[in-house]
Amino acid sequence: MTSNTERTNRFNELAEAYSTDLYRYAMWICGNDALAKDLVQETFLRAWRALDSLKDVGAAKSWLITILRREYARTFERKVPKFTDVDKVVVVDDEELEPEEQTERDMLRQGILKLEPKYRDPLLLQVVFGHSCAEISEQLGTSKSAVMTQLFRAREKLKTQLQKDGVTGNVHELF
Amino acid sequence: MSMNFSEFKKLIGADPWNRDPETLRARNSAPEFEKAATEAEAFEEKLQSALQIQPPVDLLAEIRGISQQPIQQRSWMPLALAASLLIAVGAVGMVWKQARQGDSVESYLADHYSTDGPALVAQATDLVAQQDVYNIMASLNATVDQPLSDRIKFIKFCPTPEGRGAHMVVSTSQGPMTIIFMPKTQVTDGEMVSFDQMHAFLLNLEHGSAAVIGKQSQSVESLEAVLRESLKTGLLGA
Repeated sequence: MTSNTERTNRFNELAEAYSTDLYRYAMWICGNDALAKDLVQETFLRAWRALDSLKDVGAAKSWLITILRREYARTFERKVPKFTDVDKVVVVDDEELEPEEQTERDMLRQGILKLEPKYRDPLLLQVVFGHSCAEISEQLGTSKSAVMTQLFRAREKLKTQLQKDGVTGNVHELF
Repeated sequence: MSMNFSEFKKLIGADPWNRDPETLRARNSAPEFEKAATEAEAFEEKLQSALQIQPPVDLLAEIRGISQQPIQQRSWMPLALAASLLIAVGAVGMVWKQARQGDSVESYLADHYSTDGPALVAQATDLVAQQDVYNIMASLNATVDQPLSDRIKFIKFCPTPEGRGAHMVVSTSQGPMTIIFMPKTQVTDGEMVSFDQMHAFLLNLEHGSAAVIGKQSQSVESLEAVLRESLKTGLLGA
């Protein structure tokens, strides 16, 4: 049997490796910083209790994502309202962006929040966690070809929004 | 068969960093393929940059704190259930009456919190005006002084097992917690109850009682001293 110290070390390694990406993922799917933090904490609380059931450390990332997605679904079953305050949370990067680049990035962020879940979910799994199309397919329980179509369309939707902005020159008309 | 331009665009649109041999061959087959791939990669860098957000500085420390909690050993469950059943059957007469009162508070808290508890915690972002706190608590024959009064981010009247009470959300160093003030209900002082992934600490006050509700990762009992110091009841000698 795994000793308590080993168990704690194993848990802390998971927290170090995945808490940041899980928070990012949670933030982009729920759009609320407090809820995202709660989701990640609940995810790790459940992971701590069920840690002995994780036999393959290579499956830890998908295991944690599954826990978080279930917790998110459960939270919304309780009709917790959804807030979008990503502007409050995103950190201004050190790099100095030109105003146009800054606007473009803001547009992208708003666009990601506005994407339908069927497009946003696979996109986040790919960009935030580096999942392959096959891994996304397994995570979401859909076919690989469906995942590829959703990923393609997600990017096309984001690009279309940015291109619209280029035509109109008014970012506020887009969302 | 070689990939046409439309197929190539769909492929890199789904997976811009695709480096399988067939995709690379297509990329090198004509300038427009290379141009499309370069544009897709440039967009991907913007997308990755846009998704970069920093988690709260205390997140990792709070998660590590979870591992300090005792582990629930599932293998003991059947034995514990059997033992509980035997005890319950053997002592049903005396226990029933006490359990009924305890259960009623626990059931009330579970039902009441599930109605709007998480939503109120999520909404409670700004401090409540002291006058609003005073007005509500005074009508319940109670006051809230500092330091608790400086932490209240939401307050409203709410039903309790015996009449009207107050539902508060307070900020703490461990995140928001909920306090239910029950002016006419007595509880088992110091008892912890659990429900639906939450737990609550119960304490009797001079008149009535209070329950501090939080997530199981939060130390709800840590608010006991603050509550006893700040929540004054029975001002009219009721």
